[in-house]
Amino acid sequence: MTALAAGAVQSVDWIAIAPPVIVAVTGLAVLIADLFVTPARKPLLGVISAAGLVLAGLALLPLLRGDRATFCVAGAPTQCSYVADHFTVVVQLLVIGGALLTVLLSMRDTRGLPAGEFWFLLLASASGAALLPASRDLATLIVALEVVSLPAFALVGLRRGDRLAGEAALKFFLSSVTATAVSLLGVSFVYAATGTLHLAAVATALAHGTGQLTVLARTGAMLTLVGFAFKLAVAPFHFWVPDTYAGAPVPVAAYLSVVSKTAGFAGLILLTVVAFRPYAHLWAPALAVLAALTMTTGNVAALRQRPGHPRSAVRLLAWSSIAQAGYLLVPIAAAGYRADPARDVGTTLSYALMYAVVNLGAFAVVVLVTGGGRSARLADHRALFATRPLAALALAFFLLCLAGLPPGIIGLFAKVAVFTSAVQAGLGWLAAVMAVNVVIALYYYLRWTGLLFARPESAPMITPTDDSGAGTLTAPSVARIPFPLATAIGLAALTGVALSGAPQLILRFATSTLF
Amino acid sequence: MPESTVPTISAAGYFHTYSLVGLVAVVGVLFVTVAFTTGHLLRPMVPTREKMLTYECGVDPVGDGWAHTQIRYYVYSFLYVIFAVDAIYLFPWATVFAAPGFGGSTLVEMFVFLGFLAVGLLYAWKKGVLEWA
Repeated sequence: MTALAAGAVQSVDWIAIAPPVIVAVTGLAVLIADLFVTPARKPLLGVISAAGLVLAGLALLPLLRGDRATFCVAGAPTQCSYVADHFTVVVQLLVIGGALLTVLLSMRDTRGLPAGEFWFLLLASASGAALLPASRDLATLIVALEVVSLPAFALVGLRRGDRLAGEAALKFFLSSVTATAVSLLGVSFVYAATGTLHLAAVATALAHGTGQLTVLARTGAMLTLVGFAFKLAVAPFHFWVPDTYAGAPVPVAAYLSVVSKTAGFAGLILLTVVAFRPYAHLWAPALAVLAALTMTTGNVAALRQRPGHPRSAVRLLAWSSIAQAGYLLVPIAAAGYRADPARDVGTTLSYALMYAVVNLGAFAVVVLVTGGGRSARLADHRALFATRPLAALALAFFLLCLAGLPPGIIGLFAKVAVFTSAVQAGLGWLAAVMAVNVVIALYYYLRWTGLLFARPESAPMITPTDDSGAGTLTAPSVARIPFPLATAIGLAALTGVALSGAPQLILRFATSTLF
Repeated sequence: MPESTVPTISAAGYFHTYSLVGLVAVVGVLFVTVAFTTGHLLRPMVPTREKMLTYECGVDPVGDGWAHTQIRYYVYSFLYVIFAVDAIYLFPWATVFAAPGFGGSTLVEMFVFLGFLAVGLLYAWKKGVLEWA
């Protein structure tokens, strides 16, 4: 190529952008394959999806050094739209791993759904989630966020003829579109005031002062953050979450609560810690108050879930995910009070990793128990230990991790890291609010755990002869756990146990610089 | 500042010119109101049943006021929009791709873009959207 050619055509670092590209291409391949395979072979599509996600995960390996960047402004190598640093790689690992577990959860659940479209939408949304942490300009950030959200609306409402699903999708759509509109208005204000879209350049421009446009810049920053708060279901913008999760297929609810939420948090971190850094005195107190409000709302509402109510298990997990989002916000708020925010970002990431593994595991067991069209009541989990001891033990472990009690050491350590982050930033009151909330949350997590080991309510149909999984196979009402689902629960449980044995695997993010 | 031949108009003066538009609108409303009111006051009113019928080119109206029309071509208009948007991107591309410095990779990029649209069309075709039913 001539020198001119090198200037006219942008060179693309394909290795750096491989993870989202592989996910997206797999999605397209699945969509096309769906048109040509016979209905009997549709399960193959799920296998292709899972393989694509594994491949995307492997594509992260060359990026581990975290020094790649592409789509840079000509002549300004520091202004890049796509950066694969350590932060990006960690979030992409989380997102791709979460999507993989969701695929495993959905293998059995897609029978009533249009299979090809389901896998395509899931992979399309996952590719957006993988793009989001890497984007370093406001346009890419918003586009990536929309790529996460738009397929998710369809995923929620994909079940035909289900009134609840339609309502769930509509609520999700309306709140999300409002959020995007508000965010876009904010972005346009910020662009008007600073004249740039690149996050680092925005930070420089804001730090140098924007003259008479200061009010505009501040309003823009706040509006952008409000939009993200909507997407992340931060109280008081959380009202759509329980209905959306309850109406969606359970694996999709799992996906929303982990993958799409983590991607949103990655975007919020990029905005606050990188772009709007000079306005830390504005957003940090606001985020601290929102964090306290969010965790309290989530936990108090989770307390009120009745075990016998239809879909109460999913609703409980939905409210619990709101509460956990509150904990995730704490280190981001703390980052605003400190000169070096990298460690607080790391704390959020390690908490998010723990939450992702454990929450997907809990959803996996709910999928297992719900299977066969039961309505995901908490009461359905009664005496699970008698029928499916391994699944019950796994769910108990996941719930204890979410609560932060000793067998789930990783949950405990992640919470301690969040506490430390708050206290070191001088947010003692927030740490106190969080402590009260952790105690409230103990009640409903432990009540559910207790339910697993309770006696069957009346006339036990199955007499547990053997406490191993094989012994229960003789009982007519207990089918074998489907292989993909067993893999998902096993993977989540193994990761959880491994992390509990060696918490430094993820907690080291809390002590290192990621950007 | 270089001398400008365009007379400078202050912002207040500029918005002042809009008062003319407002005036025309007011006059328009007044004209219609006055004309209709005068007509209403002057004309004789002798309604019969036939006079109260909906006017359909002088023929008596047939059937209900509500009629369903099947819009079968809306899918085609959707597909048309896709290809119209596609053409918007093709025009600027066509002006530069032969220029020195672009060449092969630019050609491939456009075909990747067209490929995405083709997937959409393939999907619509296999799902039977293109059948005229």
